[in-house]
Amino acid sequence: MEAVAVEHVTKRFDTVVAVSDLSLHIEQGAVFGLLGPNGAGKTTSLRMIMHILAPDEGSIQVLGQPAGDRTQDLIGYLPEERGLYARMKVREVLVFLAALKGLSEAEATSRVHEWLERLGLAAWSEKKINDLSKGMQQKAQFIAAVIHRPPLLILDEPFTGLDPVNATLIKDIMLELREKGSTIILSTHRMEQVEMMCDAICLINHGRSVLAGDLRAIKKSYGKNTLRIEYTGDDNFLDLPDLVEKLNRFGAVVEAKLRPGADPQEILKAAVAHGVRLTRFELVEPPLNDIFIEKVSEEHA
Amino acid sequence: MRKIWLVFKREYLTRVRSKGFILTTVGLPLFGVVIFAVPLALATRKTDHTLRISLLDNLGGLAPQIAAGLEGKLPNGKPQYEIVRVWDRPSSEEQARQQLNDQIRAGSLDGFLEVPKDILDGKAAAFHTRNPGDFQTTAALSHAVDNAVVEHRLTDRGVHLDNVSKLVRGVGVSMVKVTKTGESEEKGQTFIVGLAVVTLLYITLVVYGVATMRSVVEEKTTRIVEILASSVKPFHLLSGKILGVAAVGFTQYLVWGVSGSLLTAYGASMASAMAPGASMASLHLPASLLVYAGLFFVVSYLLYASMYAALGAMVSSDEELQQVQLPVTLMLMVSFIIYPVIMRDPSSGTSVILSMIPFFAPVLMVLRIALQMPPFWQIALSLVISALTTFGILQVSARIYRVGILMYGKRPSLVELLRWLRYT
Repeated sequence: MEAVAVEHVTKRFDTVVAVSDLSLHIEQGAVFGLLGPNGAGKTTSLRMIMHILAPDEGSIQVLGQPAGDRTQDLIGYLPEERGLYARMKVREVLVFLAALKGLSEAEATSRVHEWLERLGLAAWSEKKINDLSKGMQQKAQFIAAVIHRPPLLILDEPFTGLDPVNATLIKDIMLELREKGSTIILSTHRMEQVEMMCDAICLINHGRSVLAGDLRAIKKSYGKNTLRIEYTGDDNFLDLPDLVEKLNRFGAVVEAKLRPGADPQEILKAAVAHGVRLTRFELVEPPLNDIFIEKVSEEHA
Repeated sequence: MRKIWLVFKREYLTRVRSKGFILTTVGLPLFGVVIFAVPLALATRKTDHTLRISLLDNLGGLAPQIAAGLEGKLPNGKPQYEIVRVWDRPSSEEQARQQLNDQIRAGSLDGFLEVPKDILDGKAAAFHTRNPGDFQTTAALSHAVDNAVVEHRLTDRGVHLDNVSKLVRGVGVSMVKVTKTGESEEKGQTFIVGLAVVTLLYITLVVYGVATMRSVVEEKTTRIVEILASSVKPFHLLSGKILGVAAVGFTQYLVWGVSGSLLTAYGASMASAMAPGASMASLHLPASLLVYAGLFFVVSYLLYASMYAALGAMVSSDEELQQVQLPVTLMLMVSFIIYPVIMRDPSSGTSVILSMIPFFAPVLMVLRIALQMPPFWQIALSLVISALTTFGILQVSARIYRVGILMYGKRPSLVELLRWLRYT
C-alpha cells in the first residue's frame, strides 16, 4: 500500500489548468520532495491530497482509501502561509486544532502540554498567539501539524524563518517521525534541504510532472558531469569554453558543468599551467539546484 | 456533527469571553439605566425646600386665587410654596419688578410671578426665577394661574364656584384595540411593542450578521482557514460558525432581557409615582408574537448570516468589507426604513406584498403581527417563501464560501462568482 497514490489527476480553474494529468506515487515511510517553480501547481496538488479540493479528473488514494473526509484525520499539514487565531491562547488553539483531527480534548490537552515542553514553549502556553515571536508561532504551528501523530505529514517550507537551532530541532523531529513510520511530503524551494532529506521527488512545472522518481537514481542518470573545485590563485584558468558549459561560483567553491565528452584532465592541466593551488578537485553528480533550473528552463524554451 | 460542535464551541467561547462582549453586554444595560432611570429618579425626587415666591399682580384681585392654587405640601410636611409678599397693582410696575429682581439676586427670594394687566384677554403670566428649568414648579404655577383666570372670568359673568379645577378638568380620548378575541385599551403599547420588536430584529440581524462576516475574514487573514479546511468540511465550518455567533446573540439577549424587564418594572413604578394612572405595566408581549418573531428570526438569521459569511469569504482584508457588505446591509435597512408604511395600514395591499418579500419579511411581517394579526395564510405563506429563499441562498452562500476561503487577492467579479458556484 502506498502512502499516496495520485492517478492522472487534472484540476482546472476556469480556463486555467492548474494540474494536468499528474500522477504521484509516494511510498510509506519516505520523505518525498514536491518541487516546482512558483505557480506550478504544488499547492493545488497538496490541497487535492488533503481533500480541500476535489480533482476534476483522475483519482487520489491516501493510505489505501480514496481521499475524503475520513482521510483528512490521517494527515497533518503545515501550510506555507502560517497563521493561527491571533487572539486565542496557545494551548486553546492547539487543543482546538487537535480535537478537529479527532483527538479527545483530554488527550489533546496532555499532548499539547508535552509538545510545548519539548519545543521550549511551555511558559507560553497561556499567552495569546499574538504575543509570540514569529519563530515561536512557527513552532506552535508545527505542533498543530504533528499533534495527532498523522501517518502522512505535509510540510510546506517548514524551515523558513527558523534559526539554525530551531531548524535542527524541527528536522530531528521530522526524521524521528519517519523512523516511527510516518510518510512526509516536503514542499520547498530549498534544494539543499531536499538533497539532505528526501528519498524521492517529483518536479512539477505548469501543472505537469516533468521529473519524478528516486532522488539518487535521478542524479545518477545525469552522470558525474560536474567538477567541484576549491583553490587559491588565478581565476582565469577556468576560462575554457570548449570544456566548461557553465560555471557556478560559491565563494570558495566553484562548480563547473562539463560539456559532454570533455576530459576533466584537461582542466587539471590548465590549473597547473596557471599555477593555481588546488585543495579540492572532485567529479560529482550535478546538484539538484542545476537539475531544477535545467528542467524548468527546458520547459520554457 | 462532532466537528460542527467543536467549531461552534470555539466560536461561542472565544466571543463570550472577549472584552468586547462583556463590555457591550454589561455596559449597555448600565448605559440604559444611566440615561433612562437616573434622570427620572432625580427629576421625580421632590426637593425638601420651600420655594419662596412673590406675586406681582398688575391686574389686581387675582393673587389670592393663585395663592390658593399653590397649597401643596412637601414630603416633610412643610408647604411647597411660601408667598412672601403680594404686590397688588403697584404704582410703578417697573420699580416693583426691579426690587423683586434684586431680591432674587440677593437670594432672599426664589422667584416672582408677574400677572399682566390684560391677562384676562389671554396674555401669559411670567415667572421670573434663576432656575426656569424646574418643570414641576412650571406645571404647578401654570395650573394655578389657569384656574385663577378661569374662575375670574366666570365670576365676571356671574357664575360663582368653589372648585374651578373640578369643573374644567378634561377627559381625553382613549384608544381601544379591537382584536378577534375581544378588546383591550390602547395606551401606546401596540406602537411601542411593534417598534421595539422591529428595531430589535433589525439590529440583531445586522450586528450578528456582520459578526459572522468578520469571523470569516479573520480566519482568512490569519490564514488559519487553510488548516481548518484540511480538517473540516467547509459547510460544517460555516454551520458551526453561524450557530456559534447566533448562540452569542441569544446569550446577550438573555442578559438584556432579564435586566431589561427589571428596568421596565422600575420605570413603571417610577412613572406611576409621578403620574398615577399612566401605568406602563400593560406593556406585555403576546405569546403568539414571540413565537412568530422567533420563527421569522431563525429563518432570516440563517438567510442574512449566510449571505454575510459569503461576503466575508470574497474579500481578503477587513478594509474591503465595508464596500461588499453594503448591498446586504442596505436590503435590511430598507426593510427597517419602510416600516411606517406598515404602521399606517398593516393590512393594505402594499403592506401584504412587502411582508411577503423574503428579505423584508423578518422585520415587516413581524411588525404586522404586532400591530394587527394578519390572516394565518399570509403568515404561513411569508414564512414558507422565506424558508425556501433561505434554503436556496444557503446553498449558494456555502458554495461561494467553500471556494472563497481559499482565494486571495483580487475580489471576484459577478461573472467569476457564478463560475465559483460550479467548482467542485
